[in-house]
Formats: sequence, C-alpha cells, structure tokens
Amino acid sequence: MSALFGRQANTTIRMVLAAAGLGAVGILSALLIFARVPAGTRQLDEVVQPVQFDHRHHVVDDAIDCRYCHQGVEKGASAGIPSTALCMNCHAQVWSKSPRLEPVRQSYFTGKPIPWVRVHQVPDFVYFNHSIHVAKGVGCETCHGRVDQMPGIWQVAPLTMGWCLDCHRNPGPSLRPRDAVTKMGWKPEGDPAALAAQLMKAHDVKTRTSCTTCHR
Amino acid sequence: MKLPILGQAPQAAEGDRLPWRSIAGREDRRGHPSEFPAGAAEAPEGFSRRGFLQILGASVALAGLEACKPPRDTIHPYVRNPEKAVAPGAALHYATAVGWGTAAVGLLVTVHEGRPTKVEGNPDHPASLGGSGAFEQALLLDLYDPRRLRGFVRKGQPLSQRAALRALAQLAESHRDDGGKHLRFLTGESGSPLLADLRRRIEGRYPGARFHVYESLSADEAREGTRAAFGRPMEARLRLDRARVVLALDDDFLSFGAERLRLARELAASRTPGPGMSRLYAAEAHLSATGSLADHRFRMRPSQVLAFARAVARRLAEKHGMGALAAAGQAFPEREREASAVADDLARAGAAALVTAGSRQPAAVHALAAAINAALGAAGKTVEYRPAADEPSGPASLRALAAAIGAGQVDTLVITARNPVYGAPADMDLDALLARVPNVVYLASRPDETTGRASFLVAASHAFESWGDARAADGTVSLCQPLIEPLFESLSEPELLGSFVDAGDRGGHFLVQELWRARGPAGAPFEQSWQRWLAKGVVEGTAVAPEAPAVRAGEVAALLRAGTPGREGLEASFVPDPTLVDGRFAENAWMQELPDPITKMTWDNAALVSAATARRLGLENGRRVELRLRGRKVEAPIWIAPGHADDAVTLPLGYGRTVAGPTGTNVGFDAGRLRGSDAFWLDGGLALAPVGKRKHAFACTQEHFSMEGRDLAPSFTLAGLAQGQHELEKLRGPVASLQAPVDADSPIRWGMAIDLNKCTGCSACTIACQAENNIPVVGKEQVARSREMHWIRVDRYFEGPVEDPQVVTQPVACVHCEKAPCEYVCPVNATVHSDEGLNEMIYNRCVGTRYCSNNCPYKVRRFNFFEYQKPKAPTEKMLMNPDVTVRHRGVMEKCTYCVQRIELHRVAARVAGRELRDGEIQTACQQACPAQAIQFGNLADGKSAISAWHADPRRYDLLHEVGTKPRTAYLARVRNPNPELA
Repeated sequence: MSALFGRQANTTIRMVLAAAGLGAVGILSALLIFARVPAGTRQLDEVVQPVQFDHRHHVVDDAIDCRYCHQGVEKGASAGIPSTALCMNCHAQVWSKSPRLEPVRQSYFTGKPIPWVRVHQVPDFVYFNHSIHVAKGVGCETCHGRVDQMPGIWQVAPLTMGWCLDCHRNPGPSLRPRDAVTKMGWKPEGDPAALAAQLMKAHDVKTRTSCTTCHR
Repeated sequence: MKLPILGQAPQAAEGDRLPWRSIAGREDRRGHPSEFPAGAAEAPEGFSRRGFLQILGASVALAGLEACKPPRDTIHPYVRNPEKAVAPGAALHYATAVGWGTAAVGLLVTVHEGRPTKVEGNPDHPASLGGSGAFEQALLLDLYDPRRLRGFVRKGQPLSQRAALRALAQLAESHRDDGGKHLRFLTGESGSPLLADLRRRIEGRYPGARFHVYESLSADEAREGTRAAFGRPMEARLRLDRARVVLALDDDFLSFGAERLRLARELAASRTPGPGMSRLYAAEAHLSATGSLADHRFRMRPSQVLAFARAVARRLAEKHGMGALAAAGQAFPEREREASAVADDLARAGAAALVTAGSRQPAAVHALAAAINAALGAAGKTVEYRPAADEPSGPASLRALAAAIGAGQVDTLVITARNPVYGAPADMDLDALLARVPNVVYLASRPDETTGRASFLVAASHAFESWGDARAADGTVSLCQPLIEPLFESLSEPELLGSFVDAGDRGGHFLVQELWRARGPAGAPFEQSWQRWLAKGVVEGTAVAPEAPAVRAGEVAALLRAGTPGREGLEASFVPDPTLVDGRFAENAWMQELPDPITKMTWDNAALVSAATARRLGLENGRRVELRLRGRKVEAPIWIAPGHADDAVTLPLGYGRTVAGPTGTNVGFDAGRLRGSDAFWLDGGLALAPVGKRKHAFACTQEHFSMEGRDLAPSFTLAGLAQGQHELEKLRGPVASLQAPVDADSPIRWGMAIDLNKCTGCSACTIACQAENNIPVVGKEQVARSREMHWIRVDRYFEGPVEDPQVVTQPVACVHCEKAPCEYVCPVNATVHSDEGLNEMIYNRCVGTRYCSNNCPYKVRRFNFFEYQKPKAPTEKMLMNPDVTVRHRGVMEKCTYCVQRIELHRVAARVAGRELRDGEIQTACQQACPAQAIQFGNLADGKSAISAWHADPRRYDLLHEVGTKPRTAYLARVRNPNPELA
C-alpha cells in the first residue's frame, strides 16, 4: 500500500505554512506602509472643487495675502474658508459675468453655501490648532507647500503623526520671522541653525509631545 | 502574630466608626456583597461568542484599504459672515436665565457655531454666582430631544405656524363679545414681568376671563403661613452668609428651587472650620441633602416638625425672655433635650440665627418660623421678606377651575402649566374635567398625560429658543435670549398669550423689547441699555428692597391653636424627587440616570421607610407593596432608607409617567396617585400590603466601584480636628518609590482638590461632566451591571447606626496618580503620563483589554461595552461638544481633568504671548459646583489656590497607602456639633 502522503508532503506543508505566515505579516506590513506612502496619505489625490479656484492666480497675480481670505488662521483652530460674500467683494466687479463663477453668484443670491471639498483632513480624534502654529512662526508654506504655484490645491505634506512629531521634536528649522509666515518661497538668510535658535527664543517656542496636546 | 497585608486597610477596631455604603454592606463588611454586580463580566448579549468573532473578522476584512482613505468631507462656509463671526470652532457665551417657579437662575450658555453645547452659571446673577446645578445643565438634553412636539395640531389637523396663529387669534376674538366670561387660563408659577404684563393686558381686554395658577410643588402653605404672620403673603429669602446657627424645619433648601445654588455657596462658605463655623440643625423625616450636611439631624415624622418648632419656641420664651413666643410655645416631651439645646444655641446667635421652614410643612410651621426669626432679631438679617404673589398655586386653585368647568362656564381653557393632568391631586379628575371643555389649548414641549385632552396642541419652544424675562428671588430682572432659532415650529408662552392681545404674530423679541422700552431707565438710549442687559444677563438696579413686616403674634398663636389635622397611623409624606423633581425631567435620560444623592437609585423611585418600620411591617428591601390611602392605591417597591423616621413613608413624586417618551414611560411608580387635595404633602392612615413574592430589581449604584471598606472619607468634629491630625498625617505625605518622579521639573503640574466639607452631594458635577465630555447614558439594565459611564461619581458614605447615620459625600473622578497603576498594564500604551502630570487616555490607541480598569484602585475607568453613542438623530448630534472625541464601542474612557479646556486656554494664552493665569482654567465640574468645593490648578506655582488647598491641614489622599500619589487631594469633612447634645 502506498503511503498516504507523498514524498513532497512535508515540504509542501512547510511551504504553505511559511507562505501563510509571510502572507499575514506581508498584508499587515503592506497596510502599514500604504498608510505612510503618498498614495495612502492622499498626497497624490487630485481634488475637484465646485469652483475652479486658482490659488496661483490670486496669490501671485493679485498678491492677496493668505489671511485676507483665511481669516481664522491667527485667531482660532481652523483657518476657515472665506464666505461667499468675501468672494463677491471683488467678483461683484471683476469677472462678474464669468460662467466659471456661476456657483459663487448662485450661492450669494440663494444663500446656500458653496460645498468645497476638504483637502487637508486629519482624523476626528486629532485637534489641530492653526493660531498657535502661526503665532510661533510656522509658515503656511511649511505644511501647505507652494500654494502660489498650485492651480488647484493638493495636499503636500503627509499629515501623518510621524510627520507632526518630526517637527514637534525639532521645531527650529520650520520657524520663520512672524512677518514671513505667509510668504511663499521664503529662505532663511545667513546661518539657518543660528536663525532657528534665535527664533526659538524670540517666539518662546515650547513644543509638546504629550498625547493630549493633539488627542482629547 | 498576624502579618499586615500590603495595601490592606487597618482592621476595623473602631467598629461603627468605619463608614458603610449600604445596609447589606454594613452587615457583611468582609463579604462585600456586590463589588461586581451580577452580569458585570458577561459578554455583550445579542451576540454569541462565535457570531461576535465572525463580525469582528468580517469587519477587519472589509476595513481593508477603504479605512485608510475615509470619504472626503465637504466644507460649507458662511455665505455672509454673521455679525459676531469669530474663528470657526471657537465658542461664544451668551447670558440668559431660566425660571424655577417664581424665581430664576441666570445662566451663561456656550454656543458652538450656533448650537448651545454647555450651560454654566452666570457669575453676575444673584441666584447663580457662577454655579449651576444638575437641572440647569440637563436643560440642554431637553432642547435636542428628537421626540419633542413639533408644530400645531387642531382637532387632529396639523396647522402651519401662520395658520395656528390665525386660529388662535380667531379663538381669542370669539371671546370678545361676552368679555371673556368663558375664557380661562391655567398657567404655572412665574416671576416674569412680561408674562405678568401680558396677563394684565388679557384681563383688561377680557374682564370676565380668569387665570388659575397651578404647580404640583406649590408653596401655598408658606404663603398662608406668612399671611397669618404678617397679614400678607411674603417670600422668605434666606441669607446664609449672615447666619451662624440655622434650624431647617423639613426644609431641603439645597435640593430644590432657584435659590439652591446661592444657598449652597453661602452655606459652604460659612462652614470653613474655625471659630466662625456655622452650625446647621435639621428636623426631617427622610434624609435629605440638607439633612445630610446637618451637624445635628433630628429625625421625626413630618407631622412632629411643628411640635418640635413649638418646643423650641417654648424654650425661647421661657428661658430667653422672648415673650412674643409665649403663646406659640408648647412642650414636646420626647424631644425636650434637643429642642432646648437648639433654642439655647439660636438665642446665643441672636440676629445671626435662622429658622427656616420647608414648603411641605403646614402654614403653622411657616408662621411660627417667622415669629421665631422676629423674636431672635434675625428677620431682616438672616432672612429677608419680600411681597409674594397673593394667589393660590396649589389644589385650591385647581378646585376653583374644576368648579367653573363643572358649572359649564368654560368654553376655552388655555393651559401653559406643566402637565396638569399628571400633576393634579388624585382626587381631582382633571382628565375627565378637560373632556368637558370644548376648546383646550395646551402648550406642551413633548407628549404627556395632558396632550391627549388638548383640542389645540401647541408645541412649546424650549427656554433656550425663546425671548422672555425673569426675576431672581431678590427681584433682579434678567432677560432671556434665545441661543438658537426654534428647532421645530413652536411658540413660547409669551407668544401664545400674546395672541390673545393681538400680538401673537409679533414674536417674543418684540414683546419683551416693547415692555422694557417702556420700563427702562428714562433718558438712557434704549438700544445701549438693551445690549448691556443682554450681555451681562441682569438688568441692573432692579432688585427689590426687602421689607420689614411686623409679626402679628396673636394671629400666629391663633393659627397654632387652630391646629393641623391629626395624622394617625402610618404617615405618607410626598417629596419632590431629587432628580426628576415633579416629573419635568422624566424624559431626560441624564436625570433618570443620575443617582439620587442619598439613595443612589437610578431609573426608579421607591417608598422609603426606616429599618424599624420595615421590620414591624415584615417588609424587606425591594418587596413590592400596595400603598392605600383614603381609598386610593398604588403599587410600589420598598426601600429601607437609613436615617428615615419611623412610622412614616416617603413617596417621591415625578415617576410613573404613563404618557411620556421611550425614556420616561412607566419608570417607577406615580406617588401622585395617592395625593389628595386636602392633604397635599402629608397625610396619615397609609396602609401597606405586600404584593407577590418577587422582589423589585433596582439599579442602585451605592455599592458600585466600592473601594473595599477602607476609611476613605474620614470626618472629624471641629473640636476633634486637632487630634485628628495624626490620623490624617497617615493619609498623606511622601511615599517611597523605585521610580523616577514623572514631572518634578515641569513648570506646570496639574492638580485638583475637593473639599468634602463643602460638598453637598448635589451631583451638579456629574451632569456638568456628562455634558462637557459627551458621556453617554446606558439605561437601567446596564447600570444594574455597574456599567454607568459617569466620569465623576459622588460616593455617599454612611457612618454610625442605620437608624441615624451621619453622611459624607465624596465626588470621585480619576485622581491622576503620579504612579498610575493603569499605565503599567496597558499593552498598547493607550494610557500614558503627560509632562504636566496628567494621566492621559488615548482613545485611538485603545484596543479595549480593560486591564487598566482592573488595575485601577479607584475604580474610575469606564468602558464602552456597547455602541452607547449609537447613531443619533440630527438634533442629538448638535449636543456634542466638538472639542471632545466621541468614543465608540470597545474603548476605555475616564476623567481627563478637562484637558480640552486646558489646551484651549493654553493656546489662547500662548498666542497672546503670556503665561497661563491661576484660575483661568476651570474644569467642568469645578465651574458647575455651586458650593465651590472643587479647586483645580498648577501645583508647581506655590502661590496658586490649588497649592494652598493641597497644603490644608485637612488634606488627605485617597488610598494613600497604595502609593499611587494621586494628584487629586481631598479635604476632610468637619462637623460642628453642639457640645450640649454630644
């Protein structure tokens, strides 16, 4: 009578077990890696907005400061999206007949808000506050990138916890003088390390890494 | 020799000194019957273990990559920025006020993006002084109740708001011809000048119309008592800040009424240990919050309170030469010793003494209290008198209405009183009477016993949705402003009454502005004053000066001679429930789940009896009985209440609602069904007969989260405090540890302290915390399994004999141990220490092993056994505090020292370029506490208030011997007993 299991059986079962083990580890690792690469953090996502708002044009051609529209950035947790009325401050006169601005006019006259799609989205258990970062001299560009070169906004930074902590553990290199916070393409003059140390002191920067700094 | 076991409490050599939580626990100290109630460890039902694992597996598989990329939110900015636009996400605070009977409490309401999310007291308001109570906090939950009435229904036909107002105007017009002879109004008590003005205008336009006022907690007896004493009804306003010796005659002034917050503040302040410490005596039947704080509590049947007061009066007249009381005095041999000691103490205090009578006591007690205060020279000092409304608000008022309906004189009855069919005395069948009225217009906020009888049902706007005004007990006027547009189509009381004077469509804002434009100070521009009144929450200069009415000793004596009806046999004593009051909070899940401050019962009420009476009647705890009183009967469970008077049964009102929502229907029994209109509060001749064999299942939290019989709430007498120091010394100070200190060098080290001498056990902290931190309610069945979610619980310890125990209440939340046992056992680092000494709980890391909870000696961690925050109605979502994560199933949670408030203020201070100021950050419990028993701050700052509290000689640490180094310190309770009664 032939053996119930062939000669290869032991090898096969070892292979299968190894594959299962490696597969489990592999899937988990893949998930963890995916959450950290640009494809997973949404840095590559293209976001279609209800109005084709062009930051490039508004920042460079019109030289409008970030804070003209994002008025909450120095006062509160959220930088805020401008009200339709603020758009209409200019667009009542400029491009007032443009079909591209039809949704803005519609919102203004019907009273229904424009449903902008959120680009920078942190999980609900993360409490980020813009005002403290701006007050301590973190530039808009540091997290949001060269907005002046973006036809439509996309997410530049990964917004992962590791990325947050990198800066919270060593905030110096991300600081600028307060008057340069909204500048695009700002570069430190002279020795960056010396400037970092000086700004840390001048702005009284005390970053914290305790969990409840962000999670409550 | 017996070796000590580490962490074990010293053996209870003191016998009765060791505190106890329940009668069962007292009898079986070692056994501790229910540290883990039945079912506490059971897996969630509704799932088999296998089914649970299947679902778990499936959800992991489905989670997949989708979980890495949640759907994108949309952002809806304003179309036009509102007038007061601040940064999105930042909260605004608006002042308003809510009425409680004729008086009001001023509030500050926190509003996030147009939704009220939290209620605080208004520090500028004389009745709040910054504190708020559980009732005020719980109003928010009512606002967002998705089962509130919406819109208008007339004879079964829904109406639009405009059509409803038109129909009301037509109805009003139809009564013009005969001068309103067939028009009646049934309202609740109110001190609102606007409502009074509308009533005056209605009475002017319809000379024949009549108003009836009804409250099931009517203070008619107080009104009649002061009428006898002074010749006209007066409102007594207590001034505990000036009182040194207080005798409360069945007066639970700390639990009910608009003044309870101020009184708690003043009483707590007067009890600072030292030579000036006040002394509180209480004479009462059931252990009330006020009685639990008393230095001497005399338990007696409610009908004996008058006799006790007369014995005090007799002693004052005979021994202390107060001749005016001679006719009022009468001997009470059983209580002679106590009455004499109290009288001597009152006489010694003179103008700093105070005798106060509870509104449940007959008029004679109120008259006598007024006479004693006058004789002591305390009238005008510790008690102020102001004129009270001169009309009945109790059964007499309903009787007049019933007579009119019976005589067929009522065609239209407009009801704005709170659920009168439920609140009316049982011998007055209002339900049947209303059926005989052709038009019943009823303003109601949710379906109740009365709505079925309304031919025209009008949804009521919530207090936070309406314009109005209110008066504090000292007369100070507050404007009530809406915090939000009405969520559903509805009318406020002024708007409904306004439609009878052609102003229904004008809206509440117009009505209240019109009144105050006329009454405001002449000369000043109205708009400016108006804005200032709204911002501050009070109209300055509107307080009414107290009067000094003379006591008519002859009338008081005559009233006492007339006597009160004898109370034979077992006495029935009706009390407002400490959480549901008169049933107004029956549909409020926060209040249903809030443990009663003394019995610690949730989702239920019971007939309270003393242990001796239960023994005499052969009843044990939980036995169901049929209560019979003058032919009326109701079935109720028995609860043996420590400290209850013998031969009396206390029956809490407000439960047993037959028509309410899913929360309040058929919870508890309706004691009101025994209540007669001639014996509204107290009656004799109650009979009890056991029903069936099954015991009632209570959901009582008194044995939950027990810390194993240690002496955790030591209390001392004022004289014994110095000797007690060595005892306290053992409960504080450094402990040896192998570990490095956590935050020794940090410039900020957060700490808390709770002064048990100030704590009244009112549980305002529990509800404030619930509102601030998005804490769910779990329901009776879950509470019975010790799964209630309150982050701060109020432990209540009894000490001494069951018949007459002393009480210490002790709020316990996470004490933020420096050597936190929970942190060592968490396998995923979900609970860790911050650099400022907070024991942090990170929900997004928690995997729900519950190891931390098992290792917590203070039992302060709460686990989401179910998805308690189940998908909510859109309005319920609006209640959530956006600064706190909403936790889902399988996550541990606990007190965070309100870290969201810490960070909010830190960011604001740092942006402004300054350091945090002491007292700037208040935790939710601290801010609410009317007695200011909770302090919070930076221990690293030697000059901070919290550092002073931690250095107090009464300070001790909970479970000090365990070596956890808690950051919350406790200050021991101190009593000030009368040496003559020792």
